[in-house]
Amino acid sequence: MFAGIAHNLTIYLAMSTVFFVFGLFTILTRRNAVGVFMGVELVLNAAAINFVAFYALKADSAQSSPWLDGQIFSLFIIVLAAIEAAVALAIVLRVFGAKKNIDPDQVMELRG
Amino acid sequence: MSFLDFFVVFCFLGGVVCSAVVALHPNILYAAVALIGSLLAVAGVYASLGADFLAAAQLIIYVGGVIVVILFAVMMSESIYKRRFLDGVKKMFLPTILSIALMLGMFKLLVSTNWGELRIPNYENTTIRIGQALTGPYALIFEYVAIVLLFGLIGAIVVARPNILKKDQDGGNS
Repeated sequence: MFAGIAHNLTIYLAMSTVFFVFGLFTILTRRNAVGVFMGVELVLNAAAINFVAFYALKADSAQSSPWLDGQIFSLFIIVLAAIEAAVALAIVLRVFGAKKNIDPDQVMELRG
Repeated sequence: MSFLDFFVVFCFLGGVVCSAVVALHPNILYAAVALIGSLLAVAGVYASLGADFLAAAQLIIYVGGVIVVILFAVMMSESIYKRRFLDGVKKMFLPTILSIALMLGMFKLLVSTNWGELRIPNYENTTIRIGQALTGPYALIFEYVAIVLLFGLIGAIVVARPNILKKDQDGGNS
């Protein structure tokens, strides 16, 4: 039933789609800044899966394949997600210290 | 059905279930633990696509670093065990419709397109080639990411320290 499914791009793109949609839903519905941040992580991972899947679509089985761009970009996504985690936690800590609350709907001092 | 097919299907199902728990579970601690599962599934997909260095980096940086930071923030937030972290049904209406429409549209596009055959490389070690690429054609982006990391860390430290402004104000008053 599943024979050859690993050599088809569809299942990877389907996984990426599901990650993106659930991440977007998490961002839109969570009432906790940390929850919103977890949704951002899901969306970033969806993009990274797409990069690696299209790398494998373009990859040559020869040893000196020049098509490594997808892996490089996924690596940059992982690194930037790490620093994003640090900055997001710093902001959450600061907001929690000031407001005793990290509900994004309740923190509205910057609302225009 | 080879082992690779089984493994990819296993990662797909695990990732879908775990990301659904992340999106839908009302308790944020459970959602954070389920995020570990979905990141592990992504690492499995990387490994089955022949990106071994990336799978290791995902395991070390995401599952080892980012998840710890997220769990720390979750433990710090108040009322973990109250079921208050999801909105009421009223405010979930529009996001649900948007998500379902987006998922159906993307799946339709995905099924109706002929993507061609994947040529998964023979699971050779990609670490050498990634290192050569990072110091060769991608050196500028590599340095740029390093600068972003440095200033991001400095900014995170400055933002997280609450006493800097207070001390300045006290010094000005006295």
